[in-house]
Amino acid sequence: MYRQGDVLIVPLDEAAVPPHAADAPQEPRDARGRLVLALGEVTGHAHAVLGPGRLLREPGAVGPLLLHLPDGGRVVHEEHAAIPLPKGWYRVVRQREYVPGSVRLVAD
Amino acid sequence: MTATVGTAGTTGVTGGIGGAGAVGPVGAGGAAEPAGVPAGAAAGDVDGWRAVAAATGPADRAAAEAGVRLAYRRAGLAEPERIVWAGSPRAALRLLREAPDGPCGPAARGRSVREAVRSAPWAAERGRLNELLGARGWGRRWAVTGARLWETTERLADRIRAGLVEEAAGGPADEAEVRLLLLDAVLGQHDAAWLCAFGTEPGSPLEGLAAVARSAGWWWPYERLAVVCERPVELHRDEAGRLDRGDGPALAYGDGFALHAWRGMPVPAAFPAELRALTPERIRTEENAELRRVMLEFYGYDRYLRESRAKPVHRDDTGVLWRIPLPDDEDVAMVEVVNSTPEPDGTSRTYWLRVPPDTRTARQGVAWTFGLEADAYAPLRET
Repeated sequence: MYRQGDVLIVPLDEAAVPPHAADAPQEPRDARGRLVLALGEVTGHAHAVLGPGRLLREPGAVGPLLLHLPDGGRVVHEEHAAIPLPKGWYRVVRQREYVPGSVRLVAD
Repeated sequence: MTATVGTAGTTGVTGGIGGAGAVGPVGAGGAAEPAGVPAGAAAGDVDGWRAVAAATGPADRAAAEAGVRLAYRRAGLAEPERIVWAGSPRAALRLLREAPDGPCGPAARGRSVREAVRSAPWAAERGRLNELLGARGWGRRWAVTGARLWETTERLADRIRAGLVEEAAGGPADEAEVRLLLLDAVLGQHDAAWLCAFGTEPGSPLEGLAAVARSAGWWWPYERLAVVCERPVELHRDEAGRLDRGDGPALAYGDGFALHAWRGMPVPAAFPAELRALTPERIRTEENAELRRVMLEFYGYDRYLRESRAKPVHRDDTGVLWRIPLPDDEDVAMVEVVNSTPEPDGTSRTYWLRVPPDTRTARQGVAWTFGLEADAYAPLRET
């Protein structure tokens, strides 16, 4: 697994990819053609993947996201070093924080 | 005019929490629409509507009034005889609650036409697109447009409604009256989330509504008059899009209507001033657990830990686990984590995350923040 700031990218066995993934709506790429894993609301800084692939949103407001990179790719961010990702499927998990009575996401 | 987006005065942008943001045109990522979707069915750009929802500064009154009149005409209604401006939704409610025979009272305004002006055209457009794209296609369209903006925009509108009810309502009867009037409101800029899923180009059924949204705040359409509000003058949010400000109102209108919040949590108006004068003793003695949490966050966990001479509970290669016992409350358990990528000046940023109070090790705490068990958390690479 790989971690870039508040985003964890966990390799997923092909066998563990949910069947609906084949047909699930894809997240659109941003204006720069990237797959955006997480977007900072104020700074606009993004954890984003370059290269061919698909990003699928699992049910629920905050994901997780499924990422398929048939040829591998690179996850980049304005404030973090890039991480090369081997080809395959991944689950993308946002970091959360404990709040008594609820849970909230971290935004770095 | 409708092709441009009113971004003047924008102080920030918003979007769905979790923010895997769609910022390209619909279809750019493969959520392509079926062939044969005619011109005029294309959805607007998410980024532009995101900016509309977060826009601050004076309304473009001429554009908004033209939009109001157009929306009435498209609904098959006569244009309103008068368009009255209000500094905020609070001021609009005051106008509408004046004496029954007042200039904006029930007699002068006639019945609400929100259904005809806003809801019916919206439902018709949704039905038409559902037909055109199929239920699945419509679902896809929504997922890459409106769903992106829905959560943060709806949350903001909810907070405004709650603030209006709290301020305006003197008793149960007052509260019911305010709530009923709020049902008549069209949300203007805060309708951006759903407008974004539809075509709003010249000639389209939603053109007038979209024009008001791009130029003004909330508005109330009645048979004989429309009351239209200015946009806020200040809007401060955190990276997750929640209202957030430590030194003043997080949302403020020019006429003084304001909401205070810290990382999304509503706080009393006097609270920010109090935050600046905090002491560990004051934090310890705060009885409201939520306010105490805000105080701790504002004060800084690290500073509080230092000054209260807290000891680290556990340390491993993922970070340090701390615990702060609080009287009559569960312990605050925190993991201290060092950001793996150095800042431009070469230093490493330390940050603190609250974890469940039963956390025993730093690794268990960090793993929990990603929904994992301690032994499953093993990044090959971290930056």
